[in-house]
Amino acid sequence: MIEALPPVRGAREVWLAAAIGGVLLLSIALVAVAVGAVSVPVRDVLRALAGSGDASIVAIVRDLRLPRVLLAGCVGAGLAMSGGALQGTLRNPLAEPYLLGVSGGAAVGAVLLLGMGVSNPSLLTLGAFGGAAAATLLVAAIARVVGGSGDTRLLLMAGVVVGAFSNAAILVALADSPPERIRGALWWMMGSAADATWPSLGRVALAVAILGALLLWWARDLDVLVLGDEPAAALGVDVDRAARRVFLVASWLAAATVAAAGLIGFVGLVVPNLARALGARRHRPMMVVSAIYGAVLLIAADLLARTVRAPADLPLGAVTALIGVPFFLTRLRKLAG
Amino acid sequence: MSFLRARLATRQRSLALLSALALMVVVACGRGADSRPQGVQRDGTDSSHNSRTAVAQADTDDFGAPLPIDAQFASRVVSLNPTATEVIFAIGAESRLVGRSRWDEFPAEAQKVASLGDGIRPNVEAVLGARPTLVILYAAAENRAAAEAFKNAGVRTITLRVDRIAQFMSLCTRLGLALGAPERARQVADSVQRTLDAVRAATRGVKPVSVVWPLWQSPVLVVGRGSYLDELIEIAGGVNVFHDMSAPSPPVSVEEIAKRDPEIVIASAKTSATLRASGPWRAVGAMRANHLVLDDPAVTGRPSVVLGMAAVALARALHPELAGSIP
Repeated sequence: MIEALPPVRGAREVWLAAAIGGVLLLSIALVAVAVGAVSVPVRDVLRALAGSGDASIVAIVRDLRLPRVLLAGCVGAGLAMSGGALQGTLRNPLAEPYLLGVSGGAAVGAVLLLGMGVSNPSLLTLGAFGGAAAATLLVAAIARVVGGSGDTRLLLMAGVVVGAFSNAAILVALADSPPERIRGALWWMMGSAADATWPSLGRVALAVAILGALLLWWARDLDVLVLGDEPAAALGVDVDRAARRVFLVASWLAAATVAAAGLIGFVGLVVPNLARALGARRHRPMMVVSAIYGAVLLIAADLLARTVRAPADLPLGAVTALIGVPFFLTRLRKLAG
Repeated sequence: MSFLRARLATRQRSLALLSALALMVVVACGRGADSRPQGVQRDGTDSSHNSRTAVAQADTDDFGAPLPIDAQFASRVVSLNPTATEVIFAIGAESRLVGRSRWDEFPAEAQKVASLGDGIRPNVEAVLGARPTLVILYAAAENRAAAEAFKNAGVRTITLRVDRIAQFMSLCTRLGLALGAPERARQVADSVQRTLDAVRAATRGVKPVSVVWPLWQSPVLVVGRGSYLDELIEIAGGVNVFHDMSAPSPPVSVEEIAKRDPEIVIASAKTSATLRASGPWRAVGAMRANHLVLDDPAVTGRPSVVLGMAAVALARALHPELAGSIP
């Protein structure tokens, strides 16, 4: 369980963590823009960022690397904020966005379109977001019909059911597809920032800005929800309403990231826990620190994904899993102990 | 050291002895298991010895099973291998065809033949429902279970893999033998080979054009050395910038393509429209310069009887200055 009554301590700790995170973010972003298959001197990278210099270097830096780095950063920030908010709503530090049907719903939306031969990235993004949004609404509806959408246990169970149904739907959709479409769908499901474009970056950045701001706005409700239903109600919080809206907005934030870069696990699980370990106990600072470190983590993971097995890319979801699985096992051991 | 050498020598002798024994067992089993009728006539010579020799040398399918060469058994054929289906039509044996896979789209007449589903992991029951005496499969690992199931049901199978031009020629030879039309099959293969040779002769001596041939966009898959398309590029006077990658369609990053800086990007009309609209692909010099060559997937999309046509089309596109000398 997430600790109740978060102490009002460590404001300096949190600012320090955020400042260090900011420096790390800037550094890793610069390294990621400077490193790639084509060796470009740092001076030329900086000139290309300003739009001057050799046309091919400008294109590589501004059309290829920069949107990719920024997309990875936005997706990492969005997933980490979503994970932090959901862990608060569900009062479970091992909760993550994909537990609640978001990943399954997004995958169904995208895979159905891929199965129909749609390859337009904008349409795929729309399909994935639509699928994820529909799945989260379905989860909330199931929980409400069964006994109240604010009941976090019901939300979790409804999420598992919708996720399982989505997996079955994906298998049915792929069973009839030619091999190259199956490969494309699998690639999408493994997550990647390789298809980053300025328009896709714009969409996900807008979603992270709006939905992230809403979560920060409601962060105080999350602080109170952690106390338990009755104390929260006594403090004037409509528990059902607060849980439902945070659940939906956090899920849609995750859906926007999935739509932009496919399924990337463990970021939403690992980073909020890291932020708490750095002293950010209250939800607002925790989500801000999570956003910064989520961006750092995913930019670094993407840098590994495109350099470790060059000239091919590694699936980004596989890289984050390599980081997340040991972390998850450590947390399990700690909980068991 | 001498002790080690002596032990190694002893071990090598033991291995050699074991190998010889294993070979004898295999030969004995092979003879015992050979259920083909004896005395099959081939090239006008009556010799069961000749038939057996041919099986041992080349007349096996790509799962290593002996190729059935008594053509009478192949009265009802299901082909779940698109290249084989096209060759069956080319050698005039289409009257025996009672089923195909849903991916067998060429020639157009093939679509009049009943579609029996997928060619990889086929629906065995649906195929057996067509009462075939021979099923031709693509030699993919996923088809081993189906080949075994057909064998258990008393239906013969031939499994053939076609990724390279030489494999297409070999497929022609083997199908010709299996369907009792070796001469016609040889003519088909020779015709393709003559066209390829003519294109190669026309482009010999020209400065090769470096190309990249993207096959898929997410992930980005390009033509590698393992594909017949890599061979076609070379025959047509080009050089594939990913020739060093052994897979038929290796995944690569767009930046790696930019780094290798091909002079030309080959793509279908649909793919090229997407690439032109893609921001990341602007990093590739050939895309910025609009050095795109359009290919027709109906001609280049399969290693089959149209290989010659594909080489001609590609050579004309890569070297328009040679248009007059290319057949």
